[in-house]
Amino acid sequence: MNKYLLKIVHGLRFRTKITLGVTLMLVFCGLSIGLTLSSMSSKALLEEGKKRGMALTAGLAFRLAEPLLAMDFLQMKNLIENVHEQYDDVIYIFLTDTRGNILSHTFTGGFPSDLLRVNLDSQTAQPVLLTTERGPVYDFNARIVLGEKNLGAVRMGLARSNMDAQIGQQRAISLLTTLGVVSLGIVLALWFARTVTLRLNRLRESAEEIVKGNLDIQAGSSLAKNCWEIMECGKRECPAYGDARRRCWYLAGTLCPNCRDKDFPLKIESCRNCPVFKSNFGDELQDLAEAFDVMAVTVKTHIEELTQREKTIARQQGLLKTIMNVTPDFITLQDSNLAYMFASKAFCDHLHRSEEEVVGKTDFDLFSAQQADLNLHEDKQILLTGRPLAKEITFKRPDGQKWLHIVKVPVHDQDGSIMGLLLTARDITMLKKYQEQLIQSQKMEDLGRLAGGVAHEINTPLGIILGYAQLLMDDITDAELLDNLKVVEKQAKVCRKIVADLLGFSRLSHSVRGPVDVNASLREVIQLVEHAFFLDRITIIAALDETLPSLNGDKERLKQVWLNLLNNAADAIGQDGAILVQTGQDVRGQIEVRVADTGMGVDDEHLQNIFDPFFTTKEVGKGTGLGLSVSFGIIKEHGGTISAVSPSPEEYLPKDFPRSGHSGPGTVFIVVLPVSGGAAHGGNLPGRLPAPSL
Amino acid sequence: MPKHLFFFCMLLTALLLAACGEEERPVRVSLDKRQEITVRPQQPAITYAYLPQYSHTESFQRHQRLVEYLAEETGLPIRQVFPDTFAHHISMFGQGKIDISFSNPFVYISLANRFGAKAMTRIVEEDGQAEFRGQIIARRDNDTIRSVEDCRGKSWVAVDPSSAGGYLFPLGHFVDHGLTLGDFKEVVFAGGRQENVILGVYAGLHDLGTIREGALKVVENKIDINQIKVVATSRPYPGWVYAYSPRLPQEKADKIRAAMLKLDYAHDPRHRAILDAARFIGFVPSDDRDFDRVRELSQKVGLEFE
Repeated sequence: MNKYLLKIVHGLRFRTKITLGVTLMLVFCGLSIGLTLSSMSSKALLEEGKKRGMALTAGLAFRLAEPLLAMDFLQMKNLIENVHEQYDDVIYIFLTDTRGNILSHTFTGGFPSDLLRVNLDSQTAQPVLLTTERGPVYDFNARIVLGEKNLGAVRMGLARSNMDAQIGQQRAISLLTTLGVVSLGIVLALWFARTVTLRLNRLRESAEEIVKGNLDIQAGSSLAKNCWEIMECGKRECPAYGDARRRCWYLAGTLCPNCRDKDFPLKIESCRNCPVFKSNFGDELQDLAEAFDVMAVTVKTHIEELTQREKTIARQQGLLKTIMNVTPDFITLQDSNLAYMFASKAFCDHLHRSEEEVVGKTDFDLFSAQQADLNLHEDKQILLTGRPLAKEITFKRPDGQKWLHIVKVPVHDQDGSIMGLLLTARDITMLKKYQEQLIQSQKMEDLGRLAGGVAHEINTPLGIILGYAQLLMDDITDAELLDNLKVVEKQAKVCRKIVADLLGFSRLSHSVRGPVDVNASLREVIQLVEHAFFLDRITIIAALDETLPSLNGDKERLKQVWLNLLNNAADAIGQDGAILVQTGQDVRGQIEVRVADTGMGVDDEHLQNIFDPFFTTKEVGKGTGLGLSVSFGIIKEHGGTISAVSPSPEEYLPKDFPRSGHSGPGTVFIVVLPVSGGAAHGGNLPGRLPAPSL
Repeated sequence: MPKHLFFFCMLLTALLLAACGEEERPVRVSLDKRQEITVRPQQPAITYAYLPQYSHTESFQRHQRLVEYLAEETGLPIRQVFPDTFAHHISMFGQGKIDISFSNPFVYISLANRFGAKAMTRIVEEDGQAEFRGQIIARRDNDTIRSVEDCRGKSWVAVDPSSAGGYLFPLGHFVDHGLTLGDFKEVVFAGGRQENVILGVYAGLHDLGTIREGALKVVENKIDINQIKVVATSRPYPGWVYAYSPRLPQEKADKIRAAMLKLDYAHDPRHRAILDAARFIGFVPSDDRDFDRVRELSQKVGLEFE
């Protein structure tokens, strides 16, 4: 029952609860007070009635003493009748002497004998209530006493109906008054409940709006006069100026002299004496509503700030992501258990996995067991010691040997303990190649110098050997001896040729500079070798750019280069093939000469050594291995570069280029020469840069 | 807690409702059951009356104890009766309705002259005298009245035309000094009240007043009696007297007289209480001759007692 009642009460609206509670209280209090007062006043009225009756009786008794002494019956009768007639509620009066004689009475037609049985003793509590045919009657007995002498008694009957009517009237008035007061109280309670719940509802609605995400609410009531109007300060720069939604005492940095430099909780003490506070401060509900508004505004501000920050963070995150995705370096972050927390796109691509497949995994999931075990030991050591690690590793990939430079650093969290491992790895294959090329070019330099020196020293004795051999040949007639001498002469000449080449490679021979028409020099060489190549069914196709400017250089030496390149091409073809000779200018205006063949091509591992002296892939006796290195030296002397690409890319050797049945992937040699020529670039690296295929 | 509150509310309500009830138990009485009634007649007794100079109740209160004492002492049935006026008193005496009369000397002379009343005792006043005098008073600052003769042509206020001390004794005194009623500017009576005479003089309404000796004492708490001077005092006359009807047998009258004289104010507290109520302190024997002086005075001032 109680639970059921409680459930009902809980389900009621707050307004109903207040009204109901106050109503119950009012009804209870009203009834309690009304009933108590009514009872008290009824008693008082009754007492008053009794007193009146007693006073009437006593007064009559006093006045009857004289006629009683004088035995003046007329006087007695007059006095009695006088009172009897004067008051409607006096039913009867009679007078007895000490012997019980009825001396006078107001009855007509005999005396009711019953009255002589009751209320005989005036010493008992007066009056005595009688029930008569004329309703309830109070019977009063008053002695007539003079001094100590009892002369007789007066008895008076007073109808109670008048008193009852008065009491009834008074009770009705009490009831009506109580009902009136209770009704008024209920109306007031309704008004009060409405006032309270109206504001509570506003708060609730505001709270709901906030839950919905609308922070632009106003739970507090608007003010009749705002702070800047009360203070008449005109300080438009004050944060409270123009802010009708928030009370100034909640705002920080307001410019009133009393509250300057203080925030809400601290400034409130000084605000209590401020006229604005006194004028605008409300009750607890208003306070709550205003605090609520302030909270909403503050939350809104914070949310806006957070949104702004979120945007900034998202932007930065995006930037970081872009960087991470774009950077060719491998970047990963592993936690203390060496599971990947982050992996850059390059790393994922290297593993041919997506980022989702990498994050959360360990090396054992991504690498071979051996490699993972190696990494684990290495990583654990870093995590334990806190010392970063830098190393270079190399491994074989289908597209060649790869080099990576790896740096692993421990990542510390705020309290200084190691929380993970950051790895960055950079592909340094190119760098490694450059390093090797640098070493190679250095080697070439040294070799050139050595070869030059040796050739110079050998050249003189070789001339003497040749001269003497030729002198002997003039003098000797013996055919067998002469043949032998001829062999000596021939081999000496071979040696002289080698020495001359070595000198040319080391640029110790003299050069004659002048304007050189590259196309013309090429045509001359082509013309020279065309016939010989034709015998091996090798066609030379020249696609020359006629607008080519002439350059400053040594024509003969350049022709030697062209001859070497064409010979090399023919050697690479062997029989049945074509050689494409192209000239042109690159974007920087340098003259580019390309000699492409349909030959067997050059292996990758040989490609970087083909310009080395004495490097040859030809059979023994077929070449000295100096042709390309001499060409390299000449081009370098002209400030240009020479490089080789194999197989020949399409742009240098078109697909529709006439090929024989056994033609290979081909090779293209690219010579780039500055128009100005000269040795200004003599100190440059070997001219294989830039090689498009590298 | 809610249970306790509920219980408390119920208890309070019950108490409040209980308070509304009334505890009177009525007695059933019929007013219609009537019977005729008759008054039982009184037993015959010796009647005793006090000259009605006070109300009946005052008379009753003063004399009831004395009446009871006399009845007890003599063994005779004695009952006080209450005549309404002096004339009624005299007429009742004449009709035999009063056996013992307590009256002033002038009424006694009248009773004696008309109905043969016989004096048996006189009372001793509270000042110890069985006689009393009248006084002529004036304001102390009234220098025009220094002697009885100065009262000529003045305004005189007296107690009552039948007052002994307050009118007749001083009138006799004036007559002795050659002043008659016609010699005064006016003679006004104060309705029988001694106090009214004193207050009238004190207020200056009248030049002189006449009172019974000792009356000044009565008002000493009300006014400054030093402002009043006594111009002259009359000769003493016998005071109030008990007389009996000639119808009363002598034997009974003697018993009553003896009982009266037996009262001892000084030594018997019970007697003292009886006498205190009656406002005198004792009795002295008396007979008709004591009143000859009064008869003389009556003649002097022209009063007739028939």
